[in-house]
Amino acid sequence: MRNPVSIRCIWLTSISLCLFLYSFAQGDPSASEPAEPGLSLIPLYTSNDTVLVTTTISLRKGREWLHLQNAVISFSVSDGKNIVRKIGEGSSDSAGTVTLAIPLYPPLPQDAQGMIRYVADFAGAAGYAPVSESFSSKPAWLKVSFYEEDSIRYIRITGTQHSRDNKMAPIPGETVNLFVPSLFRPLPIGEISLDDQGTGTMEFPSSLIGDSLGNITVIARIDEHELFGFVTGQAQINWAIPKHLLAQEKPTRELWTPVAPIWMIITLLIMLTGVWAHYIYAIVQLVRIKTSKKEEKLPETDWSKYS
Amino acid sequence: MANVSQSSLLREFAPQIERTSIVQTLWILLLVGIIGLGFYALYIQISQGHIVTGMRDNVVWGIYIVNFIFFMGISYAGALISGTLHLFRAEWRKPIIRIAEFMTIIALLIGPCYILLCIGRLDRLYYLVIHGRIQSPITWDVIAISTDIFGCLIFLYLAILRDIAAIRDFQSLRIPSWKRKLYSFLALGYTGTPEQQKRLHKATDIMAAMVIAIAVIVYSVLAWIFSVTLQPGWHSTIFGPYFVIAAVFSGCGVMIVVMWLFRKIYHLEKFITRKHFVNVGVLMLILSALFGYFTFSDYLTKWYGSEKNDELLIRLLFDEYYWLFILSNYIGVLMPMIVVGIPKLRTISNITISAIVVILALWVNRYLIVVPTLESPYLPIQDARPAWVFYNATWVEWALTAAGIAFFALLMTIGSKFIPIVNVSEMEDKPVPEEELLA
Repeated sequence: MRNPVSIRCIWLTSISLCLFLYSFAQGDPSASEPAEPGLSLIPLYTSNDTVLVTTTISLRKGREWLHLQNAVISFSVSDGKNIVRKIGEGSSDSAGTVTLAIPLYPPLPQDAQGMIRYVADFAGAAGYAPVSESFSSKPAWLKVSFYEEDSIRYIRITGTQHSRDNKMAPIPGETVNLFVPSLFRPLPIGEISLDDQGTGTMEFPSSLIGDSLGNITVIARIDEHELFGFVTGQAQINWAIPKHLLAQEKPTRELWTPVAPIWMIITLLIMLTGVWAHYIYAIVQLVRIKTSKKEEKLPETDWSKYS
Repeated sequence: MANVSQSSLLREFAPQIERTSIVQTLWILLLVGIIGLGFYALYIQISQGHIVTGMRDNVVWGIYIVNFIFFMGISYAGALISGTLHLFRAEWRKPIIRIAEFMTIIALLIGPCYILLCIGRLDRLYYLVIHGRIQSPITWDVIAISTDIFGCLIFLYLAILRDIAAIRDFQSLRIPSWKRKLYSFLALGYTGTPEQQKRLHKATDIMAAMVIAIAVIVYSVLAWIFSVTLQPGWHSTIFGPYFVIAAVFSGCGVMIVVMWLFRKIYHLEKFITRKHFVNVGVLMLILSALFGYFTFSDYLTKWYGSEKNDELLIRLLFDEYYWLFILSNYIGVLMPMIVVGIPKLRTISNITISAIVVILALWVNRYLIVVPTLESPYLPIQDARPAWVFYNATWVEWALTAAGIAFFALLMTIGSKFIPIVNVSEMEDKPVPEEELLA
């Protein structure tokens, strides 16, 4: 205990650091047992007679989900007990996702209610347990079309379902959500209830902004339906306002405009001028200190007399 | 101490300027090694991208920004201590003011480097100048920090000018001729004539006031980068003064630790006494009370308001970050109060220990301001994977953090070998008469 201060400092620093690092430390899952990944499965019926089957394989580690890459996922259709048809296979990407586009012709096997039971299987790998996921839905389509009547423009949605006997039937009474693409996620523009003929209409919103030619894509979606699952359809039309025709408003000075508000510029200029004026004053004093020496030529301090 | 002559003081500090002991050489090599590791980590980050860090789409800021705020805080504390004590002619400041001046500029040079580490496309850095918008807090920060660096450099130069001139004239100092020429060049021909003294006095006074003002502005701007956003935990009107208080608080902690280290290394026991530790400790105590008050006020209003996202954030702080929250806002606040507040505990070692705790607590405080908020995203970003939402710093970030601390220590060491760490010129100055001070 020759230097108690140092020892106390070292002790306290060590304890604090341990506490600090412990707080950041993550628990390590047991390495002896195979990890059990999770699998999600979404079949999405599209308007071009295909179903996009998407699965994501991931593993929970602490509070995070890690997506497994290069996991081989096989897709099939089952009758609830046995696999009745294999429909494809793929390896997961860096996001743990595999997507297969499967044509619906020739038709996939359906059960008595016309449902198709999709199954995604991961057979397991070193350190990972096998996992399987299934999703049942009835094939359906949404067709988006446009028409004009009495100078009013409309969007028409036609919903069709595919029965087991290969017959097409309308989707009556369902609600379809309409979107247009936007920066983060599709922008909702309205919803349409389908009539007994599986058809519904809505006036085309006149305020939508398209590309430079006025082209815009309208997307119709049914999500998480108990019978049809996920269904989408889309079509493009040039009825939107072309970007270049947007009225150029008089430039304003706002927070979000390219030119800053006047008060902000004035405040900044006052502050910078005030500060730099003082800096320049200090620099001028330094320059004068240097020049005054040349004028005075004072003898150097003789420190030897102090030694 | 008031009768100590300049020459005897210079003779006392001559060894620290003339020679570098083996221990000091090893210390410098260790610091260079840590900095080298930091450069390797930087190479990895530049060559492989920010994927090697823990920062992702949601948590776009990690410990780099924490280090930035922390070093800027140290700088501000140095500016406030050196500027204020200079303006008020506090006699006790003289042995420690140089440390504060060094801290100011060194921390100010290191802090902004961490902002550069956050930038994914450094090749587009000049866009800040070309496409900078005055409305952007980032632009305010760039302007404020560059102005602050310039001002602090002038202030430091003014503060060391007399010592440089004294070393230049101290013939018995055994230093290489290039170093003597450098001192001669930097001394600007200062010989201490009445006119030179007057000009230096005026310039130093003005710059002392300016560094205080600029530091307040810089740190407020830094706080506004957070508070002008609508993020839970950040959108607060008291963030400006809160950041300023936290900065001086943490800076006082660093000041005490640096004082303790230099006192031990250069045997400055007769210059840096218990009185200096107690005085800076009392300042730390006052700031701990203010910091505690601001913290309590901020969280109380958020908790009482029961706004959904604020509630989520507070729950996250008291759940995932419980121990860090306790260290930051309870231990860090109470320890200096107890140690400095109770006279019996007010020893150099105890004050230094509480300063270490304060430093750790305030670093964690900045971490808790930055990371948990970003882990509570507002925007419904598509495909927001949990791995993108939560943040864990990687070795690359820790290596660069260690490199920054090592660089700070290295520059303080080199600085102390260039100019005496105790302000030699001021030590023999007589107190300025009150009428002159008021004039």
